[in-house]
Amino acid sequence: MNLKKYCYRLSKGKLVMFTFLIILFIGSIIFVNNNDRFYNRSIVEVTSIAQVDEREVVDQRQNRDIVFRQYLTGVVKNGPFKGQSIQLSNEYSQSRAYHPELSVGHAVFVGIEEQENGALFGEITEIKRDQVLVLVGWLFIFTLLIVGRKQGLFAIISLVLNTVIIVYTIHQFAATANAELLLLMSFAVVVITILSIFFVSGFHVRTYAAILSTLIGTFALLGIAIAVLELTGEQGLRFEEMAFLSRPPHAIFMAGVLIGALGAVMDIGVSMASSLFALYEQNNQISVKALIESGREIGKDIMGTMTNILFFAYVSGTIPSLLLYFLNGAPLGFTLSMNLSLEITRALAGSIGIVLTIPIGLVTTILMIEWKRRKL
Amino acid sequence: MNTITALSLILFLLMIAIGGKKGVKSFIALFLNFFVLIVAVIIMNDVNVDPIILTLIACAFITCISLFFINEVNSKTKTAFVSTIMTVILMIMLIRLITEYGMIHGFGEEEVEEQTIFSYYVGVNFVNIAASVIIMSTVGAIIDEAIAISSPMFEIHRHHPDIKRRELFLIGMRIGKDLLASNANTLFFAFFGGYLALLIRFFDLGYTIGEIVNSKVFSREMLTIFAGGIGVALVIPITASVAAYVLTKQTKSIHDHEE
Repeated sequence: MNLKKYCYRLSKGKLVMFTFLIILFIGSIIFVNNNDRFYNRSIVEVTSIAQVDEREVVDQRQNRDIVFRQYLTGVVKNGPFKGQSIQLSNEYSQSRAYHPELSVGHAVFVGIEEQENGALFGEITEIKRDQVLVLVGWLFIFTLLIVGRKQGLFAIISLVLNTVIIVYTIHQFAATANAELLLLMSFAVVVITILSIFFVSGFHVRTYAAILSTLIGTFALLGIAIAVLELTGEQGLRFEEMAFLSRPPHAIFMAGVLIGALGAVMDIGVSMASSLFALYEQNNQISVKALIESGREIGKDIMGTMTNILFFAYVSGTIPSLLLYFLNGAPLGFTLSMNLSLEITRALAGSIGIVLTIPIGLVTTILMIEWKRRKL
Repeated sequence: MNTITALSLILFLLMIAIGGKKGVKSFIALFLNFFVLIVAVIIMNDVNVDPIILTLIACAFITCISLFFINEVNSKTKTAFVSTIMTVILMIMLIRLITEYGMIHGFGEEEVEEQTIFSYYVGVNFVNIAASVIIMSTVGAIIDEAIAISSPMFEIHRHHPDIKRRELFLIGMRIGKDLLASNANTLFFAFFGGYLALLIRFFDLGYTIGEIVNSKVFSREMLTIFAGGIGVALVIPITASVAAYVLTKQTKSIHDHEE
């Protein structure tokens, strides 16, 4: 009887959640397709493509490409010219290294210029990407929920929570003059670690062990990275090539190292703590020596793949730049050092953090187990 | 000493001290993977090579190095290999669509202003390159999860050889689900760390939310995070079913022999 009640309640809860998600999904899709009036910038929807010019270009390096020019007619979707027809032009190359090819139905942001005869001309400043972003975002949410169910939901919630914390920290940093980015980020790291690990493992001694090992591992990594950069005089690092700078690069780079490795270090900290505690719970009399041995085995197995994850996540992003350099005839060594020195440093520092967290997690967890034993 | 050399040396020593022989292998694997990536980019220079096919081949090499070189060639790693490649193929199709419709290919406004001396009319298809970047940045996490699911499934089957295919699949799913959040997190933080400068710039220059969301660089980062999350989720059912299939098929053929 109780079981039946439970099942009923469970399916009802799921049903409510499912309906809620579907409503959110449909609502957000309708919203992003009709949100033009909320933008300050003028939005134009392409209604027809009148003519396409094409010319072949050959650059100094004998790279061949075709440049197309589209003459487009569109309708203004918001602002004072709403509903009026407008002429646009869009130039893109076959390689599409910068501007995209537009087709009917695409929405773009434009700067509008009114001619004396009242005709409108516009210059395209950006593509409206929010629809795709929301659609893929939902695909992400649904995939995680369908595959992971409860764990999928947890993953999504913790991603959202971490984003909020990081964005809030950056906002605080940008808003206050002379703020120490590294200090603020370190604070964010502590908050994120405690919240994320509590969220996954709840109140348990292994949670404290995981939190402690993650924090020690992360700050050890930061310390080592700062010390090595200081001692080697940053030789070979191309800070001047760092992208998107609006401030001096060092602090931003170091904060990036810290945040970037946090996920991987946390993963190691949690794995070490929970697997060693699992061994202890199976056999309360297990010797410290046996725990150390098992811990080392576990560590060996995760070390390789975790460093790989970080490495690819960092280095892959440079592929387009590497290609651009190569195709423009830049020499191999120069290209690699210009584009990769910072990414490789980031990956190496993160990997050091990952490997260091294995013994740190081992020692911390064993100390906690011993402490628990004494208490019993 | 050069900073990168110093850091590599520290990493190498730590890996030996903690991982022994496997640590040395893990270190060498990092360099081999780097080599594969660079060679792939150099081959991409040729306009006639399809970047998507090339990415697939590079991923196969990377998976081989991470699975067969660090571990060994056995049915666990073979299963993980097949599952990784299947996931990568599925992801490539999805990601190709995302890069095309999201128009996130090529360089963003913020990037072009830094590289003005270059010609952008280089002939290589940047829509495919953008797809290849996303798949390459998530392949490490996909490999990690595939082996982390297949390995315990083989162990469980060894202890309970009579386990049904469906049960085995469900066990694989449960193992995978437990890894999902931490793997998604690992990727997420790595991407965030890499693009911290961009976020700070958005705040510093007073971008509005509308400008941030629609900018090419930001949408690309978000779509990469979403695609990475989808990838680490998709690899779970794929690995669980491949491993369950391989394991129950094996027992069947052993039983056939006994009869």
